[in-house]
Amino acid sequence: MDSQATPKTELLNFIPSPSRPPVVITHGFTGWLKKHLFGGFWNTLLTIAVFTLLYLLLKPFLEWSLVKAVWTASSRRECLSISPDGACWAAVIRWSNNLIYGRYPDPLQWRINLGIGIGIIWLLPLALKKIKHKIVIGLMAVVFYPFLASYLFLGGDRGRLHYVIASVALAYLFMLYMNIILIYLGKKQTGQYFESLIERFVPRRADLLGHLTFLLILSVLIAFIFRDFSLQDVSTDVWGGLFLTIIISGFSIVMALPIGILLALGRRSQMPVVRWFSIATIELVRSVPMITVLFMSVTMMPLFFPNTMDLNKLAQVIIAVCIFAGAYMAETVRGGLQAIPKGQFDAAKSIGLGYWYTMAFIILPQALRAMIPNIVTSFISLFKDTTLVSIIGLFDLMLMARNISIDKNWFGLHTEPLVAISVLFFIFCYTMSQYSQRLERHLTKGR
Amino acid sequence: MLDSKDRQVSSNRTLKKLIHDSAVRSKVIQVLVVVVTFSIGYYLFSNISQNLRQMELPFGFGFITSTAGFDVSWSLIPYDPSMSYGRVYLVGIVNTLVLSAFIILFSTLLGFVVGIMRLSRNLLVAQFAKWYVEFFRNVPLLIQIVFWFIVVFSTLPAPRQSFGIFDALFLNNRGFYFPSPVFQPGFVWTAIVGALALICFIFLKRSSNRFRKSTGKNMRYYYQLLLALLAVVTVVFIGTGKPLDWTLPSLQGFNFEGGGFIPTAFAAAFVAMTIYRSASIGETVRAGIQSIDTGQLEAATAIGFPPFKTLRFIVIPQAARAILPPLINLWLTIVKESSLAVAIGFPELVSVFMQTSLNQTGRAIEIVLMVMGFYMCASLTISFLLNQYNKRIQMQEG
Repeated sequence: MDSQATPKTELLNFIPSPSRPPVVITHGFTGWLKKHLFGGFWNTLLTIAVFTLLYLLLKPFLEWSLVKAVWTASSRRECLSISPDGACWAAVIRWSNNLIYGRYPDPLQWRINLGIGIGIIWLLPLALKKIKHKIVIGLMAVVFYPFLASYLFLGGDRGRLHYVIASVALAYLFMLYMNIILIYLGKKQTGQYFESLIERFVPRRADLLGHLTFLLILSVLIAFIFRDFSLQDVSTDVWGGLFLTIIISGFSIVMALPIGILLALGRRSQMPVVRWFSIATIELVRSVPMITVLFMSVTMMPLFFPNTMDLNKLAQVIIAVCIFAGAYMAETVRGGLQAIPKGQFDAAKSIGLGYWYTMAFIILPQALRAMIPNIVTSFISLFKDTTLVSIIGLFDLMLMARNISIDKNWFGLHTEPLVAISVLFFIFCYTMSQYSQRLERHLTKGR
Repeated sequence: MLDSKDRQVSSNRTLKKLIHDSAVRSKVIQVLVVVVTFSIGYYLFSNISQNLRQMELPFGFGFITSTAGFDVSWSLIPYDPSMSYGRVYLVGIVNTLVLSAFIILFSTLLGFVVGIMRLSRNLLVAQFAKWYVEFFRNVPLLIQIVFWFIVVFSTLPAPRQSFGIFDALFLNNRGFYFPSPVFQPGFVWTAIVGALALICFIFLKRSSNRFRKSTGKNMRYYYQLLLALLAVVTVVFIGTGKPLDWTLPSLQGFNFEGGGFIPTAFAAAFVAMTIYRSASIGETVRAGIQSIDTGQLEAATAIGFPPFKTLRFIVIPQAARAILPPLINLWLTIVKESSLAVAIGFPELVSVFMQTSLNQTGRAIEIVLMVMGFYMCASLTISFLLNQYNKRIQMQEG
C-alpha cells in the first residue's frame, strides 16, 4: 500500500531539478580573456602577478634603454650630463666599427666585407629551386672557400699553392654564376660546350670532364689576371670583434662535420681498434670543459711541436675548438645513424655496395638530412661558446665589448656594451633556432 | 720461368686480398691506425721531451708538494699561502663541486617551475615562460656571468652601507654574509643520535611503504613515531647543554667579521648559471610532460583522481623516465660549465690551478692532465651513478 503511494505523492509534488549554470562564453574578446587569462580565482591571481612582474621588470628597462637613452655623445661624461640615468648607446655606436672588425686596419676592411660577401654569394644558389647538385656546390664551398677567404683576410705573400687554390675558388664561383644564368635562360651550361670535343677522346664522364675543363681554363685565366695583385699583410693578432667570432665558429663547424662523421662511423665500426680509438677520443673530449681544452691549446700545444716552429695563437685556438666541436658533432651524427633502419644497410649490401659506397650514397645522406636541425642546434651552442676565447685573450666580440670600459673616453661603462652584444647574440641565435625548428617540422612532415 | 710467374700471381693475389678481403682489410686498417697513432704520439712525445729538457723542467708531479705561496680568495677548507700546490688543487676541486652542486639543485627546481609554467593554460604565464626560456638560452653564458658580476653584484653598496636583514644577513659589493654555526665538542652526541634517527626514519619509511603495498592501508602510529624520533634528537641536544652556537657577521672597521661569507663572484656565477640552465631544464621538463599520453590524464580524471595526486602519481613518475636521461646530461654540463666562473675570478679549479699555478710553475702538461683528469672522473662518476638510478626507474615499465 505504502510503497504504491509514494510515487504518487512524488508525482503530485513536482520538484524541478536545479537549473544548469549558464553557458560559459568562450567566443569573442571577453570569452577569449576568460578562457586564457581570468578563468577562476587562481588563474586571475596568476595573471595579475605575472603582469605586475612584467611591469616592474620592463618599465625601468624600457625607460633606461629607450626613453632616457643618449644616442650621440663623445664621452661618458657628456652622456651623463645629458641624461644621468639613461643608457649611453653613443659608446656602442662609436665603437661599432671595432665591435665588428676588431682592430683590423680601417682602410683594409673592404677585404673582410668582400670575403664575407663572397661567402654569402657562394651559398645563395643553395636557396634557388632550379639548381641541381647542391651538395657539390656546398662541398666546393667547404673545400675551396676557406682558401679564398683566408687569402683576402690575411693578405701578404701566402705561397704559390695557396694562390692557385684561391684562383680555382674564384673561377668556380664565376663558373657557378655563369651556369646559373645559362640555366635560367634555358641554354646549355658552360661545360657542355666542350662535351662533344671531349667525347671523341674520353667517352665516359664527358659531362664532368667538360665542366672541369672549363674550370681549368677559367682558373688559369684568373690566376693570370691577378698575377701582380698583392694585398697588404694583416696579422691575425689584430683580427677581432664579430668578424673573429664568425671566423672561429664558422671554420670550426665546417671542420667539425667531417671530424664528427669519421668519429661517428669509427664508433660504429666492426674493427675493435678503430672503435675503441673513436670512443676514447669522443668521451675524453666530451668529459672536459671547453675552457680547459682552450687553456691546453695555448699552454700545452706549443710543447708538442719543435720550438723552432712559429705557432699562431688563433690557429691553436681553432684547432682546439675544431676537436671539441668534432667530438660533439660525432654524437649528433651517431644519433642520425642510429635512426636509419637496418633494412637500408641490408639493401645496400644486397646490391653489392661496399662500406664506403653504402655510407656515402645510402646512409649518410639520410642520416645527415634528418640531423640538420640538431646540427644547427650544435652550431648555435658553438657560436655561443666562442665567447670563451675571450678568457684566453683573443679579441672576439665579447672582449672587444669589454674593452669599451677601459677606453679613456668611456671609462667604467660596462652595462651598455654587454646589453648590446647580448641583444646581438640573441638575434643571431634566436633566428637560427627558429630556422632549425622550421626545418624540423618540414622534415618530419614528409615522413 | 714458371716459378717466377707463379710467384707473381700469388703476390698479385695477396695484394688483391689486402683490398678486397674484408677480414684481411680490416686487420690492415687497424694496424695502420695503431701505427699512425703511435708515430704521431712518438713525434709529439719526442718534441715534448726535447722542449722540456731545454726549459729544464723535467716531467713529474713532484711540484705538488712544494709551497704554493699565493693566496686563494675563498676556500671552504683551511688554506694559507704556505700550503702546497696539492692543497690548491684540493681547494679548487671543493670550490668547483660546491658551486656546481648549488647550481644543479636550484636550476633543477627553477627549471621544473619554468617547464610547468610553459604548459600553463594561462596564456600570459605560458608566454612569459616561453620568452624567459628563449631569452636566457640564446645569450651566451659567459656574457650573462659577466653581466651579473659587473652590472649587478659589483654595483651593490660598500660594506658600511650594505643591505641587512635582521642584523644577521648582509649583502654588499664584497659578498653575502650570513650567520654560521659553531659546533662545540658536545655536539658529537647530537650528531650520532641524529644519524641513528635518520637510519630509523629510512627504515620506517620503507616498512610503511611495504605495509601499504601489501594491505592497502596506512601504517598506524607512523607520524607519531616520526615525532618521537624528532623528540629524542631534541632531548639529546638540550640534554648535552645546547652545544651549538651561531656567529653573526658584524661590521668591524671597513669589513665584516665572523659568520659565513660568500664572495660576489660565487653569487654572480651561481645566479647566472642557475638562470641559464633553468631555461634548458625547463625545456626538458616540458618535453617530458608533453610526452605523456593524454589518455593517462583522462583515465585519472575518470576514476576520480584529484589533480594533485594525478600530478604526483600519474604524471611525474612517467615524465621522470623521459626527463631523467637528458637531465643527467644537463647536470654533467653544469659541472663542466662551472669552470666559466674563471672569467670573473672565482677561485674554482681552472682559475686556481690552470691559471695561477700554471703561470707560477710553468708545468703545463702535468697541470692540464690533473685538471682534465678531475673533470673526467667527475663526469664518469656522475654518469655512472645516475645511469644506475635511471636503469632502476626505467625497469618499472612493463
